[in-house]
Amino acid sequence: MKHPSFQPFDGLPHAPMAMPKQTLERPQMLGSFFRAFLLVWQRG
Amino acid sequence: MRHGAFPGQTGLLRLLTLTFAAAVCVTAGLFFIDLIGGNRPGWLDWVRTILLVLTGFWLVWGGTTGIIGAFAPTPKARGDQADPEGRTAVLVPIYNEDPVETFARIAAMNRQIVKRGLAAKFHFAILSDTTSLEVAAEEANAFESLMHEPDAPGRIFYRRRERNIGRKAGNIEDFIARSGGAYDYAIILDADSLMEAGTMVAMARAMDLDEKLGLLQTVPVVIGARTAFGRMMAFSSAYYSKYFSRGAALLQGNQGPYWGHNAIVRMRAFAACCGLPVLSGKPPYGGHILSHDYVEAALLARGGWKVVVDPELGGSYEQGPENLIEYAKRDRRWCQGNLQHRRLLAAPGLKFWSRFTFLQGIMAYMASPLWLLLLVASLAASLVPDSGGDRWGATPWAIGLGVVVTLLLPKFAILVRGALDGTNRAFGGWRVIPSVLGEILLSTVIAPALLAFQSRAVFQILFGFDGGWPATERDARAVSLRTAFEASWWICVVAIGAIAFMTLAGPAFLPWLLPVAAPALLAPVIIWASSQGEDDAVSSWLYCAPSERAPSPIIGEAQAILAHWRAHDPVGMTELSALGVHAPA
Repeated sequence: MKHPSFQPFDGLPHAPMAMPKQTLERPQMLGSFFRAFLLVWQRG
Repeated sequence: MRHGAFPGQTGLLRLLTLTFAAAVCVTAGLFFIDLIGGNRPGWLDWVRTILLVLTGFWLVWGGTTGIIGAFAPTPKARGDQADPEGRTAVLVPIYNEDPVETFARIAAMNRQIVKRGLAAKFHFAILSDTTSLEVAAEEANAFESLMHEPDAPGRIFYRRRERNIGRKAGNIEDFIARSGGAYDYAIILDADSLMEAGTMVAMARAMDLDEKLGLLQTVPVVIGARTAFGRMMAFSSAYYSKYFSRGAALLQGNQGPYWGHNAIVRMRAFAACCGLPVLSGKPPYGGHILSHDYVEAALLARGGWKVVVDPELGGSYEQGPENLIEYAKRDRRWCQGNLQHRRLLAAPGLKFWSRFTFLQGIMAYMASPLWLLLLVASLAASLVPDSGGDRWGATPWAIGLGVVVTLLLPKFAILVRGALDGTNRAFGGWRVIPSVLGEILLSTVIAPALLAFQSRAVFQILFGFDGGWPATERDARAVSLRTAFEASWWICVVAIGAIAFMTLAGPAFLPWLLPVAAPALLAPVIIWASSQGEDDAVSSWLYCAPSERAPSPIIGEAQAILAHWRAHDPVGMTELSALGVHAPA
């Protein structure tokens, strides 16, 4: 029986392709303001 | 190339269908409020009416889609059978499934591809996210068998990730990050997928011929089902799905669906548009995107690519759950994924139809608790004295008839269309009639249990806990009455409570409750009984589908390879089965 980490990806073309992360959330202006100025103990 | 017979066809059809569904629901709401409150409705009457209109809209919407599909002309399938210009990677993400079965299907697909002389154009990559070390060992051994297949070395690849970052979407992303640039297209399959070489060629050719096509989704047919429940689902997928998808395709235009498998994507479009972020916040709404396929379709459409479903492309198969418990387990996962899309309804730049698709997916699950709420509100209303308002004369029979027509009309329309276009012949001619009637009967009987399971799933996800499931065997088909009872006893309790309440509070309304409460009371028996029939399934004429009457050669080839591998036990399956290796649910 082979070792479980057996990875015969050898021979697969090495041709990296970037997959940039997409934006799906809108910046929450009110929430950011609230966190930045009012919840001072949560900074950092 | 635009979508539709004339400019604006898709938009006009959407507008007409949305208006029609809204008009039917508002009319039903007016009938309903006249029935329950007359011209002096109370607040509970308004609540019940709003719930009826909300839930009824999605019923009418679904039914109208089916009717449009039943009456739509038959379009030509995309692509042709010329040799594709682009190179395709067939990606098979796996996760603790039985590797011998999966790899046998890959071997069958590879044999057909090689036979057509297209070995250089189609490579296979098995992308394992398996967490069980025993199953991983089986995979490694099964891969060795796969390497003995024609032209396999250097064309069929396997790797296993140690960490499942991003789950299935991350698994595919990992492949693209490493080798995406070597391929023009990727056909994405599931572990239980099977696809004819002709279909793969047609899909790759469709990509060659339309450079704006970003994703082409097939409508897979469920095969291999043996139980009454499984075969009913397989019959539905084989008989109705083509027409429902044809209707949906006309409404979706170039913002069609992606169901996560049995589809082809243009590699550079997918890479450029579908890098999924991790959503802020904690699960169930934050974290990794669970139902990634809908989101990827929306992102491709946002990027200007066509996303299209083609129901005319045959030769695309998958397997489905064989009993209601397995179905409900799968539904629970999908429910969580769809509810998470609430966060994406306002995502920047999405097409209107992508947002509508998210909403549709959310409502597919939210409808169940809303129906349940309508039932509870109706039970509560029996305690409230009638306001004595004047009525126009709406009767409960009219409302009931409206619901029945909405549910059944599309199926009968498809039955008629099937007789006219020759589809019924492939299903055994007149024998399709008892199959349709049987499907209507069984789906009606299991509906209350399904409603209860879906409502519980929504409740669990919203409140962040999981009630769990009784253990079922790997590749479970038939379930015992005991297992069925363990999974659904609480549905019986709710049904008994509702019947008792109505008997005491409003016995006159009891007959209206019984069509829902009686099947709910019998849920364990229905789950158990519908999971039976494995022994005589193939010879059974009920729910008979073309994949049983005249199976595609690739189905036979995959079964023959599997039988051969099992007979020679090349991967130590006997030994591993004896160890009780199970895939996590």
